[in-house]
Amino acid sequence: MEFREKVLEQASTITDGCMGHEEAFCVAACPMHTDVKKYVAQIGKGDYEAALKTIREKLFLPNTLGRICAHPCEVDCRRNTEFGQAISVAGLKRFAAEKADRKELWDDAVGTPTGKKVAIIGAGPAGAQAAIDLRKAGHEVVIYDKLTVVGGMMRVGIPEYRLPREVIDFEYSYLEDLGVNFQMGVEIGKDMTFEQLREDYDSVIVANGAHVGSIPPVPGKDANGVFNAVDYLKEISLTHKFPKVGKRIAVIGGGDVAMDCARSSWRIGADEVFLISLEELESLPASQAEIDESQEEDVQFINGWGTDEILKDDGGKVTGMRLKKVISVFDENGRFAPTFSNEMKEIEVDSIVFATGQQVQDVSNGLLEQKGGGRYVTDSETLATNLPDVFVAGDASGGAIVVQAMALGRKAAASADRFLKEIDLTEGRQFKFEYSFETRLDVPLPKGTENLPRTSGNHRPAKERKWDFKPYDLGYTDEQAKKEASRCIQCECKLCMTECIMLNDFGECPQDIFSEFLEKGEIDPVIPYSCNMCGGCTHVCPNDYGIGETFMGMRKDFILHNDGKSPMEGHKAIEIHQKLGFSKVFCTKVKGVK
Amino acid sequence: MTQNMGFMPGCSLPSYTPEGVKQTMEYLKQVYPDLGGVQKCCGKGTKALGQEEKFKERFAGLQKDIDDVGIETMIVACQNCYKTIKETSDHTAVESLWTLLPKIGLPEEVRGKAADSDVVFAIHDSCSTRYEKEIQDGIRWILSELGYKVEESEFSRENARCCGFGGMIVPANPDLAMRVMNRRGNDFDSDYVVVYCAACRSSLMKAGKKSFHILDLLWGPVVYLDESAPEDVLSSPAKSWINRYKSKQIVKKVVKA
Ligand SMILES: Cc1cc2nc3c(=O)[nH]c(=O)nc-3n(C[C@H](O)[C@H](O)[C@H](O)COP(=O)(O)OP(=O)(O)OC[C@H]3O[C@@H](n4cnc5c(N)ncnc54)[C@H](O)[C@@H]3O)c2cc1C
Repeated sequence: MEFREKVLEQASTITDGCMGHEEAFCVAACPMHTDVKKYVAQIGKGDYEAALKTIREKLFLPNTLGRICAHPCEVDCRRNTEFGQAISVAGLKRFAAEKADRKELWDDAVGTPTGKKVAIIGAGPAGAQAAIDLRKAGHEVVIYDKLTVVGGMMRVGIPEYRLPREVIDFEYSYLEDLGVNFQMGVEIGKDMTFEQLREDYDSVIVANGAHVGSIPPVPGKDANGVFNAVDYLKEISLTHKFPKVGKRIAVIGGGDVAMDCARSSWRIGADEVFLISLEELESLPASQAEIDESQEEDVQFINGWGTDEILKDDGGKVTGMRLKKVISVFDENGRFAPTFSNEMKEIEVDSIVFATGQQVQDVSNGLLEQKGGGRYVTDSETLATNLPDVFVAGDASGGAIVVQAMALGRKAAASADRFLKEIDLTEGRQFKFEYSFETRLDVPLPKGTENLPRTSGNHRPAKERKWDFKPYDLGYTDEQAKKEASRCIQCECKLCMTECIMLNDFGECPQDIFSEFLEKGEIDPVIPYSCNMCGGCTHVCPNDYGIGETFMGMRKDFILHNDGKSPMEGHKAIEIHQKLGFSKVFCTKVKGVK
Repeated sequence: MTQNMGFMPGCSLPSYTPEGVKQTMEYLKQVYPDLGGVQKCCGKGTKALGQEEKFKERFAGLQKDIDDVGIETMIVACQNCYKTIKETSDHTAVESLWTLLPKIGLPEEVRGKAADSDVVFAIHDSCSTRYEKEIQDGIRWILSELGYKVEESEFSRENARCCGFGGMIVPANPDLAMRVMNRRGNDFDSDYVVVYCAACRSSLMKAGKKSFHILDLLWGPVVYLDESAPEDVLSSPAKSWINRYKSKQIVKKVVKA
């Protein structure tokens, strides 16, 4: 049966615009699309194992990410955008992992062997995620890393007091369970050429991260006692020491890496630690938590100053810095272009650590094109390169945080898998869902939503923690976790579904009902004839969709195609009632009289 | 006030309470001595089934009746009649009894009559007029004039929920209709619910509420706690049609009086 244009139009407006299935802000923001909403609710109910399983559907590193994820989900969390009090999503993730994670729960199924072999350069999160996905697809996988330990920057960048190393090792053991082969201590480009790798394997994924610390071209930068963050943190990570550094340490930079350098400095025995940034305190790029924790640990912040010159003695040893006052950091187009006034000051330090960015080293001997920061040139949707068998993932392709690296690893693996199976790299792929995206969800806060403060965690006292590498954050207790989880708003639309009983009988939201109608070109008449036409759905719909009106349109079409009669058996009686309601026996008209 | 006024009881109201129709019309007749009257269905049911053509035909019949007896403004006590005439007629004005009464006032003898009633009535607003604030205000005005105490629910006025009768779903999907009725009943704390649509009254009775049409309160005895509500007449087609017939005679009689 054919429906009239108007009904089809109304149905497609609703299908396209209905937010019933739109992702919550947290889920959309997570590049891996972990079902945050679900596991937070599960923690709230005390079902920690279910929560852990939900997390593990997407993340092989629940405990790691629970401690160090830069959590884009929390930025977009409705409790953050409304009240500045995001749900502590990462903290809850860590809690679930500590409570419930056991190897027996891990899904170690792999795909049927394809006979194809993939080499991955880098055992960081991007390489690891790619390895997992490729094993699941049945390919043989070998990871090469120049280090002898796994984890990449999580291991040699992120300090141990934030991420205990045994957590990484435990969670990475999953890769061994899946049969991923590790070739540790092998540097591609030095111990083995990139060309050789391409020859030995059917495909190569480059996930070598950004491990070249950069130092800006300031006068005196070659003085004895100037270091970059990457080398500094790597050595501290591997040895808990950095013998070349002195006692009065200046860290240059305003991001999270700078905070890590500053806080690590205490832990290797500094007497004084300065943090010098171009940005003012209020506009530091670092996360607020890192800033607060650094300040608690007595790092001295010197914000709004740039390096004019590094001062040194006759032996070339650093003796201090001359700083110049910043006027502005960015130009009117938002580009990094600091300007300075003539105001100067000097500070006395014996060591300087530049935490001003990391660059990607070329492992390909020039075969792969590179751009700013050394990042390889790739197709942003597929991560394909100018070499058909080579894909790039993680920081090397433009990611900046662990969970992005994982999503990029997954993307590169999906492309490599297609390449190996000779499937088009783009066909049928929904790229939007392969990375963070902006949800269309736009709903009023649920009635009665209160501004409840974020549940604070249990940090060790700064005076105690700043001298050791043991975890500074002890995590949530049961009670705290449940309290925190209970703050979750469980963002969704489905407002009409709470209002209307009938819609619930036929779908999860109007989108289900109307898209099925459009797809099939038909609908069981009981659906439109079950609508009360009460308008409650439209009243609560943020888009004011005329759901009842659309059902009404369908009814009219049913009548047209059914000899003017309702297709519903039960309506026969109504037709009789209506007839009687217009019959002479029951009707009258009387003119008024004075 | 040069307009010729008329009254139209509709379908469910005359089927429920010929007595209510009578008293209402008698009072209107006092205010408008030349009050006219029409008893006919407005066609809402036909329209709700989706019978566009038949509805046009039937409404034209109603319109003709209205025009034949020279009514320019039709007073209605049913929210569906109100909506249908408002949306469909190009020349007959429509006024809800519930907005008219506050203008013309209530008869002296009923004002304050329920001041000593111990009942607190919840109000069930009709979903078809969820955005007609004036009608909703009128109902509250009448209740307060009578002296009844009321309580508002979360689902009052524009947030009103369907009683379960709407959209012709009872015959199409009776199980669903019953669930909708029960849900609506649960929206109210008070056992006593006042409605201003006879079909809604029947639904709420089915949901176990003691529900009263506002005309029951206006013209009938004062309601006290533990009293039961009037019978659910609309559940019996035979009784309903007999009443409808009685009401028709009343319309004729009162207008001609
Ligand atoms: C100090 C610091 C702190 C950070 N803190 C956080 C944080 O709190 N939260 C967060 O989400 N992100 C943080 N990040 C960012 C995060 O660590 C990275 O985004 C992420 O690790 C990138 O993953 P990747 O797999 O792309 O690369 P990496 O993790 O860098 O791994 C690359 C691997 O490749 C290996 N490799 C490099 N070159 C070769 C070669 N030629 N041959 C063989 N192997 C090679 C390296 O040894 C390394 O193991 C931080 C970064 C730094 C530097």
